[in-house]
Amino acid sequence: MHIVHRMHRFARHLLLFLSVCTCTGSLYAQDAAGIAVHGFVSQGFLFSSNNNYLSMKSSDGSLQWTDGAVTISDSLGDNLHVGIQLHMYQLGEFGGPNLQVDWASGDYRVNDHFGIRAGKVKTVWGLFNDSQDIDAVFLWILLPQGSYPIDHKSFYLAHVGGDVYGALFLGKRAGTLHYDGYAGQATVDLNDGYIKQFADLGLVFTNSLGGKTYGGDLRWETPVKGLDIGSSGNVQAVDGTAPTGSIHLPPTFTPSMYAKFSRGKVYLAAEYDREPINATITIGSTAIPYVADGRSWFAMGSYRLSKKFQAGSYYSHYVNKAADTTQPANYSKDWVLSGRYDFNSYFYAKIEGHFLHGTDLGYYTSTNPNGLAPDSKMLAAKIGFTF
Amino acid sequence: MSKTRFLILLLGSLGSWSAARAQDVVLVANKGVQISEITNADLRAIFLGTRTRFADGSHAVPVTLKGGPVHEVFLKSHVGESPEEFRSEWRKVIFTGQGAMPKAFDTESALIEYVAATPGAVGYVSLISSQDRVKVLAAVK
Repeated sequence: MHIVHRMHRFARHLLLFLSVCTCTGSLYAQDAAGIAVHGFVSQGFLFSSNNNYLSMKSSDGSLQWTDGAVTISDSLGDNLHVGIQLHMYQLGEFGGPNLQVDWASGDYRVNDHFGIRAGKVKTVWGLFNDSQDIDAVFLWILLPQGSYPIDHKSFYLAHVGGDVYGALFLGKRAGTLHYDGYAGQATVDLNDGYIKQFADLGLVFTNSLGGKTYGGDLRWETPVKGLDIGSSGNVQAVDGTAPTGSIHLPPTFTPSMYAKFSRGKVYLAAEYDREPINATITIGSTAIPYVADGRSWFAMGSYRLSKKFQAGSYYSHYVNKAADTTQPANYSKDWVLSGRYDFNSYFYAKIEGHFLHGTDLGYYTSTNPNGLAPDSKMLAAKIGFTF
Repeated sequence: MSKTRFLILLLGSLGSWSAARAQDVVLVANKGVQISEITNADLRAIFLGTRTRFADGSHAVPVTLKGGPVHEVFLKSHVGESPEEFRSEWRKVIFTGQGAMPKAFDTESALIEYVAATPGAVGYVSLISSQDRVKVLAAVK
């Protein structure tokens, strides 16, 4: 509760700071001599009919969902761009009072076909991996959790290393190919959901886990107006040592295939991902193999009813094919209805209903000591501010 | 400046362009820009940050208005997006560290002043704005 109080106080101070930044009436970033400052802050609420979700006491209604970030960037000439994003969040028992560096990078664009980014860089994978923490750009409060689990965001969001990227213009009849390739190191933050899952098993990490990562994304902006098709692949290894044990995940390939159609008031998207895991968890002298074959897909659609109001729905499907998929503990299927209202260019509110079947994702033993009901209905709400 | 033109400019600046049409929007560029026409595909790519150069290879600096009917018509006619989608696309770019938002101006006169002074700048204004200090580009499909 003490941490929650501090988070709420921080959110109020951040909101006040952001309000002062926009007191000139500007709806855009504050810009002094080329330096651009952007930011966002949001406050969420979650209520669940059964179970406690995402380490929140959501069955009683929880406000433990605060998020804020500031981005500072500058263009040093036509080709070079540098920036940093500092982020604070509290999601149930995840996150904390410390500011984290979401990304901090230099970006040198040689030309439209080739550029280089280096530093802590957001990882391009699937439709939304690199933008999953930017609540302001989405209709949804929660992205499909089978593909973008919010409690594991800190692990998937970025890597320390380098990217090469660019676009190949194929002509009016063939569209444009966008590519991004990267290599580096990814770290599981001590506030991440995976750390909590290991702690629930009796394995308490005091140092961050991590390992080498590399991969790429190829996105085809097709000649059909508004239609993009793409595919990503990521290879990730993880190693970590705790006082009572360790974890080892050999390099693991995670593919994603997706399509998006956006024209006028209509938005449609679908994605299929796979995450096979063959890890070894050692507790004391006992080596425990952990095998999973996560298969997830989602289909979503939205319609902009007016300049200020947008509504939509998605179905998210996740199963662990390496286990008995008839058991709720091995799947998570979610029907979602969402609405978003933009009061103006920088204030917005969202409301969302979830009809969740299965308990494989988003649940923790420590916040559900009496076990889990197989199904849960949830209501989420958020207000946000961004500039 | 004639009284008639002055009155038209005054009315325009008071936001009477609630029903701007595609043909009322003029593409303007710095006088140093060599091209005379630009495709909608190139405009879309430049204003969404995919391209940083014109078809002749020279550097392009897109600038926008912050809002209003001219901004809306330009985005819909030449970029293929609503102002909300455009803003959302650029927020994604900014908050993922992949670029910087185009400079945006409150008024067309401020936009023209910037375009006139900035090599490679390209933007858009209404038909009634003075275009003496900038180059007018033709948009082709």
